[in-house]
Amino acid sequence: MKKIVLLTALSISALFAQVKESVEVPYIPFEIKMGKGFDAVQADCLMCHSFGYILNQGPQSRKFWRGKVDKMIEEFKAPIDKKDAKIIEDYLFENYGNGKEQ
Amino acid sequence: MKRRDFFKTSIAASAAVLGTTSLAAGETHQPNETRQVSKYAFPEKRPLITYSDRPPLLETPLSVFTQEFTPNDQFFVRWHLPDIPTHIDPDTYTIHINGFVKKELKISIQELKTDFEQVEVNAVVQCGGNSRSAFTPIPGGIQWGSGAMGCAKWKGVRLKDILDKAGLLEGAKWIGFNGREKAAYFKTPNFVREIEIDELDDHVIIAYEMNGEDLPYLNGYPLRLVLPGYYSDSWVKMLSNITVTDKYKSLFFMDKAYRVPDNECECETPENLAKKTKPITIMNVKSVIGYPENGAKIYHNSQVVVRGVAWDGGYGINKVLISLDDGKTWEEAELKEDLGRYSYRAFLFGFKPKKYGKLNIMAKAVNSLGEEQPLSKDIGWNRGGYKYNGIHVVNVEVV
Repeated sequence: MKKIVLLTALSISALFAQVKESVEVPYIPFEIKMGKGFDAVQADCLMCHSFGYILNQGPQSRKFWRGKVDKMIEEFKAPIDKKDAKIIEDYLFENYGNGKEQ
Repeated sequence: MKRRDFFKTSIAASAAVLGTTSLAAGETHQPNETRQVSKYAFPEKRPLITYSDRPPLLETPLSVFTQEFTPNDQFFVRWHLPDIPTHIDPDTYTIHINGFVKKELKISIQELKTDFEQVEVNAVVQCGGNSRSAFTPIPGGIQWGSGAMGCAKWKGVRLKDILDKAGLLEGAKWIGFNGREKAAYFKTPNFVREIEIDELDDHVIIAYEMNGEDLPYLNGYPLRLVLPGYYSDSWVKMLSNITVTDKYKSLFFMDKAYRVPDNECECETPENLAKKTKPITIMNVKSVIGYPENGAKIYHNSQVVVRGVAWDGGYGINKVLISLDDGKTWEEAELKEDLGRYSYRAFLFGFKPKKYGKLNIMAKAVNSLGEEQPLSKDIGWNRGGYKYNGIHVVNVEVV
């Protein structure tokens, strides 16, 4: 209540002011590797999440990355076609793989 | 970096002893504490450890956990979906209560602050995947260190009081909570949580204030569900809708995510995943050391005060034990004031390092039920990397 009264009196408050305008979440230029298939990664992955999600997983097996792509399609309903899914899997394994298939 | 190398060596060493790849069996160790804060500051936040900008994922540095309350500008952030509103008008924002109720309600923020009893609760909010980087092979998900958590003084209105005003109809059993975050695609499941009405107690509130300020935008401004004792997946942010139902609705974030094996140890192996799983719900007993930090140098014969916080799912912390000899002997730390059973309990422990060289400082919390933290290596692996609560070990050097 006190805050609302203050607001009317001063028509600005430090706390409310921060959300009275649109807030801006900074863009972070995550350093992702360029490589074969990157266009598909950019088109299909970036719609929903930053590259931070990919980098954060560390080097992983082909099975791991395939599972991630499948999860995005099956659970989160990302409209990624079969061809792109394979291209993304290959890109992830090639650039962020641990060399193991399983 | 040193710690990581150490783990690599120890994993390789144990693999050699067993003659198999022990990696495949699933192992647990100390979480990754090597990450630094980013140079980018998010709205209303100081620079924090940053995993993603969209959706925003920010972790609090461990050094903050020497006090009972986590400052709002250092409080961790975790959203699930990429599209979160960038503008909220507090004058027109309303929360809707509908479903199995006698009277549907639309309540404005001002009405919440004037038409209901105002209450406060001190409570820890912790991601179920906090410390996930402790698990090998890595479970999918954000590889958090131990800072995906915080404790605040929450102020708001009891959920019970709101439901009383709406009036529950006969057969009302479940409550669904929906916030304003949205997916990029229409078909992506919304982040909706459900809890059973029986689980509700007077501590469950709809909060508009955190540590005496409006909720920060990234912590769910203007309203969030506060569910003391529970992991944060149920603490829905930017809460906009409460729907009472007679039946449990099948939802991705309830049925697939945030679950652990439904067995005694809540564990499994990568080759032999448990068939039955259960939701993570109530937090287990845990503590972290905020000072000193891993890799710190402390002076020989100086007055060192180890500080940290301990908490559990609401039974209350009974004691925190410190070991300076790799777990051979334990001494009780001093507990600071009890600020409520859902709050952090701050602890401190003073000592004079007498021996030069490497020293491991370990902290183990025990709750009022006698439950205590296990050693990292004794925690079973699980595919989601949830509920890690290993004894924290900080390596320092006495110089």
